Amino acid sequence: MSDMNTGKADTILSVRDLKTYFFQDEGTVKAVDGASFEVQAGKTLGIVGESGCGKSVTTQSILRLVEKPGRIVKGEIFLHKADGEVKDLVQLPQNGPEMRAVRGGDIGLVFQEPMTSFSPVHTIGDQITEAIMLHLPVNKKEARKIGIEALRSVGIPKPERRIDEYSFELSGGLRQRAMISVALSCKPRLLIADEPTTALDVTTQAQILDLLRKLQEENGMAIMLITHNLGVVAEMADEVVVMYLGRVVEEGPVDDIFHNPKHPYTRALLQSIPSIDSRPRIKLPTISGSIPHPYNRPSGCPFYPRCESYIKGVCEKAEPELTAVNDHQKVSCFLYEEQK
Amino acid sequence: MTTNSMPDQLLLDVKGLKKYFPIRRGLLQKVVGYVKAVDDVTFFLHQKETLSLVGESGCGKTTTSRCILRAISPTEGSVLYRGAAGGIVDMAGLHPSGLQALRKEMQMIFQDPFASLNPRMTLLDIVGEPLLVHGEKSASVRTERVAELLRLVGLRAEYMRRYPHAFSGGQRQRIGIARALALNPRLVVADEPVSALDVSVQAQILNLMLDLQEQMGLTYLFVAHDLSVVRHISDRVAVMYVGRIVETAKTEELFARPLHPYTEALLSAVPKPDPRMRSERIVLQGEVADPANPPPGCYFNPRCAYAEEECRSRTPEQREIAPGHFVSCHRAENLRLRGVVTAARN
Repeated sequence: MSDMNTGKADTILSVRDLKTYFFQDEGTVKAVDGASFEVQAGKTLGIVGESGCGKSVTTQSILRLVEKPGRIVKGEIFLHKADGEVKDLVQLPQNGPEMRAVRGGDIGLVFQEPMTSFSPVHTIGDQITEAIMLHLPVNKKEARKIGIEALRSVGIPKPERRIDEYSFELSGGLRQRAMISVALSCKPRLLIADEPTTALDVTTQAQILDLLRKLQEENGMAIMLITHNLGVVAEMADEVVVMYLGRVVEEGPVDDIFHNPKHPYTRALLQSIPSIDSRPRIKLPTISGSIPHPYNRPSGCPFYPRCESYIKGVCEKAEPELTAVNDHQKVSCFLYEEQK
Repeated sequence: MTTNSMPDQLLLDVKGLKKYFPIRRGLLQKVVGYVKAVDDVTFFLHQKETLSLVGESGCGKTTTSRCILRAISPTEGSVLYRGAAGGIVDMAGLHPSGLQALRKEMQMIFQDPFASLNPRMTLLDIVGEPLLVHGEKSASVRTERVAELLRLVGLRAEYMRRYPHAFSGGQRQRIGIARALALNPRLVVADEPVSALDVSVQAQILNLMLDLQEQMGLTYLFVAHDLSVVRHISDRVAVMYVGRIVETAKTEELFARPLHPYTEALLSAVPKPDPRMRSERIVLQGEVADPANPPPGCYFNPRCAYAEEECRSRTPEQREIAPGHFVSCHRAENLRLRGVVTAARN
C-alpha cells in the first residue's frame, strides 16, 4: 500500500511531528517541539522564525547533526531517494555509512557564515574535491575537474585559479558562491540553505538569491530556505512554514501567508516589519514583550503572553494542534479550533 | 575660531571630510599606500532631524560617524558643530582638552547590545557612569537620574541593581539608549542600533527612538545598511559608496526618485515582503571597488549600466540638482531611474 508515509508523488522530504530536546542540568530545552512539513521537488519551502524558534535545530535534526545533550525524542523524517526508496532518517545510525551518504549526497547544506564554514588552512579546491570524492566514484584529477565546473556554474570568475585559493582570499559574495558550489557538487535533490544571505550586503544578497533560483530551474532540486528575513521568503518561497519557540504556528502557500495570514503571530510579525515601500516616520505596530528564554517557556500556546487575541482560560491551558483552516493553509491556534 | 560660520538651522556641517588609513609593509613599516575609508565627504545635519548614512559594508559609513565624534581623528576636512552655548567649533581640529566638554552633547548608541554592556556592571553603574565621568559626585542624585532614565526608555527602575545578562536583546538596547541619553545630549549617533535584534523587537526600538527624539529634541545621525529601517526612521538619507556620498535627499524623494544609479540598484536589491511584488531586480555585476585601489573616474563606473566615457575618466562633483537633492553623477539629469512606489496599504 502506498501509505501516508510516502506523501505526495513529488515529495522529497517529509518531516512528521519532530521533537528535538536538549537535556541540560538547568532543565530541558524543547528546541523543536512537534514540527511537521513537507518539501516538494523543484519547489522552495521557506522556514521563517526569529531566534529560538528552532529553525536551525530542525536542519540539524534532518542531517542528524544534533549534538549532545540534544537528542531527537520523537518523530519521523522521511527522505525520498532518487531510486524511489523511502528512508526514515531518524532510524539510521547517526554516523553510519547511510547517513554519511545522505549528508552532501542527497542533501546539500549551505550555512549562514561563509567565513567560518570553510577551513582556513585548506584551499577551496581541497574542500570541494573532498566532498566529491566522498560521494562519487572518481579519482582526484576527475574530482578537480568536477570542482572547477561546479565553481564555474555558480558564477565564480576564473575557477581554474580560484580553486587553489584559500577562503580568506575571496570576498563575502564569492565565498558564499563557493559554499553553494560545494553543496551542489554532488547534485543533491534537496538543498538546505540556513540563512544563506544574512551575512551579506543587499546587492550581494540579490546576486546569491538569483543564483539559487537559476540553479533550481536548471536541475530541479528542492530548496529548504531557512531565514528570519520576510522579504527573502516573499521573493523566494513557494510554501512557507512559520515557527515560534519550536512549534509550527502556521503553514501555507506564500501568497496566503503574506496576504491572508491566520495566526496572530504571523499577522503581528508582518505588521511590525518596516518595509521599503511604507511611509517614512510612522509608528509601527509592535509585538509586545520579547521572545521568552527557552527555560521559561510558557505553558499552553507558546505565543499567548504576547498575543493580542489571547483567550483567557484556554490558551495557557493546552497547546493548540496544527489544523487545516482551508484546503491549503494550516494554523495552530485556538481561534480556529473553536470553529470546528 | 572666528572664521567658522554656518546657517542657523544647522547643527552639524561636514565639509571635505577624509580619513585615510596607511597600509604599511616590510621591516621598516614603510607606507605603501592608503585605504581611503572616507574620501571627501560633505553633508550637513539640521537641528532635530534624522539623517541616515546608508551603504554596504566597507563603504565608510561607520568611519565617517567616528570622525564626527572624534573617536578617531580625520585626515582632512572640517566638522563644524554648533555647541549648546551657541558657539561654532570645528570638531576636526579641536584640541582634546576642548573636546571633553563637547562629548556631553554627542553620544553614541552601538550595534551589538551583547558586546556593548559590561557584564560586571549593574544597570546603575552602566547608565550612571557618564554622569560620574562628567562630575556628578552624589550617589543619590545619580541613582535618581538613572531611575528616571530607565523609565524613559521603558524599563522598570527597580531593575537598576541587576546585571545585563538578565535582559533580552531588546531590553539591552534600551539600556544602551538610556546610557546615551544620560547627559541630555543634542546629537546621537546610532550605529546599526537594530540590526542585531529580532524582527519583532526592532519595531519597538525604532518607535522608542522616534518618541525620544520628539520628547528631547534630539538630532540623530543614523548609520545603517537596512534600507527598510532607514526609510522608517529618517528625514533625509545619504547613500555612501566606497568612501563617498553619492546621493543625499529627503527620504521620500530619494526612494521615489533616485538620481544615482547606485541608489537605484540598492533600492531594487531589497527584497520586498510581498510575494506579489516579485519584480525584475537590477543585479549589480562584480564586486565593490577596493578603497585602497579605486578605479579612475567615478568609483561606481565598472558596475554602472549607464557609464559613459566621461565616467571612466573624470570624478563627478557633488551637485544640487533639485532643492535639497544632492548627487554625484555626471549623467544625473539624463537618466530616468526607477524608485520605490509607496504602497497604498498605509
